[in-house]
Amino acid sequence: MTDPHQPDDDDRDSQAVRDLVKRSLSSGAMSGDAPELVQGVQRRLRRRSRGKFFADGWSTSQNRMSHVLIAVVTLLLVVLAYFALGPVYVR
Amino acid sequence: MLPDDTDARLVESLVARDERAFTTLVRAYERRVFALVLRMIGNRAEAEDLAQEVFVQVFKAIGSFRGEAKLSTWIYRIAINLCKNRSKYLRVRHTGQEEQLDALQDHVPMGDAKGASLTRVERPDEMVAGKQVERIVQQAILELEPSFRECLVLRDVEDLSYEEIGAITGLPEGTVKSRIHRARAQLKELVESALGEKIA
Repeated sequence: MTDPHQPDDDDRDSQAVRDLVKRSLSSGAMSGDAPELVQGVQRRLRRRSRGKFFADGWSTSQNRMSHVLIAVVTLLLVVLAYFALGPVYVR
Repeated sequence: MLPDDTDARLVESLVARDERAFTTLVRAYERRVFALVLRMIGNRAEAEDLAQEVFVQVFKAIGSFRGEAKLSTWIYRIAINLCKNRSKYLRVRHTGQEEQLDALQDHVPMGDAKGASLTRVERPDEMVAGKQVERIVQQAILELEPSFRECLVLRDVEDLSYEEIGAITGLPEGTVKSRIHRARAQLKELVESALGEKIA
């Protein structure tokens, strides 16, 4: 990627400016973290494709962990419903 | 960024309009694209909006990606083109640079800003001075011609080779070198004039 031996980089002035630019535009200097773009991008594509892409607006914006979590919660609800509404044994 | 073979597989899925593959692509490149756009535009809200637009354009145009350049180069090319258009628009509207102007009112000498953006900061006054110098440089970069700014940012911040910058901007290598050289000279002049002293 980088070729530090290019001729214009040898110049001392260039190097000083280069260091200054690098320092001033580093991630830290440019105020904070990058925002999450996924949902905004999906929203735009959904709108512009009139719902053809990212139509559900939900599943693709979730990660694997949230799918697992939702599956577990649903399973728990089914089990609870079974015990709450299931047959009552009378002796 | 993703390895080349992963890129190739990803592109295949993207061309087939696989939404999950596209989400993977956005997650893989969002930080770098946002950082590049922010450096070019200098305004966080505009940069977020524009970075989202970059990915929308990627989604729309992926069918025209021939694999002659790396996927990252192609995405950067889209980002740089959108930045140029937005810069022109913002320049007409005279916005986009206001955010950082206030910070330039009371600047301090460069000598007081030794190592101020390094992680080891011994004196808070040095850190403040360093931040002010950084803002002056950021402002000066925004004052450069967009065509000079893009070459400077791609070379000095993104650490790309002249060849890669040429592929992104569509310029011959010689022109890229010349623009970087002139951008640095202009920047040096702007910063020195704002600071009232020479850059050591």
